Amino acid sequence: MTQPNAAILDVQAISISFGGLKAVTDFSLSLPPGALQGLIGPNGAGKTTVFNLLTGVYTPQTGEILLAGERLNGQKPNRIAASGLARTFQNIRLFGDLTVLDNVRVACHVRAETGFAAAILRTRAHYGEEAAIRERAHRLLEIFGLSHRATDLARNLPYGDQRRLEIARALATGPKVLLLDEPAAGMNPQEKMALADLIAFVRREFGLTILLIEHDMGLVMRICERITVIDHGVTIARGTPAEIQADPAVIEAYLGAPDPPDASAEGP
Amino acid sequence: MLSARASALRPGLAWVLPRAVGPLVAGVVVAFLLQLVVVPILGPFYEKLMMDIGINCLLAVSLNLVNGFTGQFSIGHAGFMAVGGYVAGAVTYYGSFVLWGSAAVHGGFLGGGDLLFLLGCVVGGLFAAGAGYLVGLPSLRLRGDYLAIVTLGFGEILRVLLQQTGDVIFVPAQIEQASAFTLATSLGGALGFSGIPFYTTVFWVYVMLGLLLVVAYRLKESSEGRAFLSIRENEIAAEAMGIDTTKYKVRAFVLAAFFAGIAGALFAHETGTTLNPRELGFQKSFDIVIMVVLGGMGSISGALLAAGLLTILPELLREFSDWRLVVYAVTLIVMMRVRPQGLFGIREIWELGRPRRGAQEKRP
Repeated sequence: MTQPNAAILDVQAISISFGGLKAVTDFSLSLPPGALQGLIGPNGAGKTTVFNLLTGVYTPQTGEILLAGERLNGQKPNRIAASGLARTFQNIRLFGDLTVLDNVRVACHVRAETGFAAAILRTRAHYGEEAAIRERAHRLLEIFGLSHRATDLARNLPYGDQRRLEIARALATGPKVLLLDEPAAGMNPQEKMALADLIAFVRREFGLTILLIEHDMGLVMRICERITVIDHGVTIARGTPAEIQADPAVIEAYLGAPDPPDASAEGP
Repeated sequence: MLSARASALRPGLAWVLPRAVGPLVAGVVVAFLLQLVVVPILGPFYEKLMMDIGINCLLAVSLNLVNGFTGQFSIGHAGFMAVGGYVAGAVTYYGSFVLWGSAAVHGGFLGGGDLLFLLGCVVGGLFAAGAGYLVGLPSLRLRGDYLAIVTLGFGEILRVLLQQTGDVIFVPAQIEQASAFTLATSLGGALGFSGIPFYTTVFWVYVMLGLLLVVAYRLKESSEGRAFLSIRENEIAAEAMGIDTTKYKVRAFVLAAFFAGIAGALFAHETGTTLNPRELGFQKSFDIVIMVVLGGMGSISGALLAAGLLTILPELLREFSDWRLVVYAVTLIVMMRVRPQGLFGIREIWELGRPRRGAQEKRP
């Protein structure tokens, strides 16, 4: 159905308000296949709310979300994941008391075909699928440098490893589009650079389209091709990293409006 | 891409068949040996104790599917047990009258009576599973305490309904004339359903327990079961990873209720027990919850051990039976202080020795 140049993720003017608070207003986004786009904005701008709208945690009150032509709004989160939209969480939500391997294997389940009866009867199909899931999970752990941690409980991982496991787990669902919510939060500069390379690698390797929320401007400017900036739920700028850096509206959102008499004040 | 690889990795039938069927056969053989060898040596007192332990193991392991695997807090498990017990009891009691003219035990091992009993167990289990579905579907929109209250309410409603049933009919002529509805509502009321033939043996209890253990273990070691566990760990993340949490919660409820129903059927046909609504009330539900909590949420072997301990303990402390609840309460408080995750946590007994490297490395 989709033309070669059509957007894989097409978001048309979605909005949601909680009571009187307009959390997100007329947010639109069009991601061509293979894009790596950034979504930035000051704290409380509504970035994570956008993710929650896209992944079905909230239902948009207006607008449309289309993934490869399939309408997603109003669907439950698990259906959306099955359609090929996966995410990570800003506040890490791993399955803490499961092993690292099992965290990834749980996410493979959405692509599993044998059901309850096969698992209980232990049919040939069951064994085949378990082996395939195990293989796939181990491959993902290898890519993310977590193989030696496979049998550890997820909650015992160091912070950086937990962030990487979140991405590995999201990839295990076999997504077309990956939403990363502050994947580098709490990492040191070396880890951030390694993560940037890793994101670039998995994007090529799995043919992914990625939408990234990140506060670290160095990382965003380094890997994103295009950036959308929102503030108070409203899109205030779109463009390449260079355009965004020069955009007065963005600077105002982050640093506040310059005082008229002393507009040339230097930053810290 | 996963399915293509899965069919490539599919093992041969000769490899799969013994692994698929072996444990079930082993379960039946063990149950058979228990009945034929162990019971004659130990005598009737221990026979009864073994049956009690087996039934409590069935209850604890099945409740563990809901409370331990899926992380939903249900305290109405005895309600499902009651459904299974009463349905199975009605099937064998009134069925025996229709077939053989009296409720006495009919036929020997695997004779006609045993087959009727087996049918009663399955039908009881299915009715309980149906009840599990009915309770599960609307109440799984609720979480935590609210779900607990709904399950508790289910158990209490059932208890009151059973108390309203009519007296058990024991005159063959009346039974022949009575409609199915009359029979289904003549379950003894508050006095209890007396006269159910004693078909339960160590063999049947442990065949059913073996079946449940195979099901529970295979579930835990499969993709399907990991979906259950992920709901316990983090429901929001589980949904985001494509797990249909409602479907799996209902599934856990139905499966647990089915085996609770079978446990109830075994209980109903056991020597020395009376099937009455009070016996299967809140108190019983709470006993089962304690077994699961003590054993460790999600640990199958933990639930077995705890169910065994908590069945034997009252026997050992028979002269202090007034203190049983005090001992329970103190045990729970001590457990909460010392080992809040239960005896084994979520691990199985054979996994206890395994080092968790991450846990040690973290300590500075």
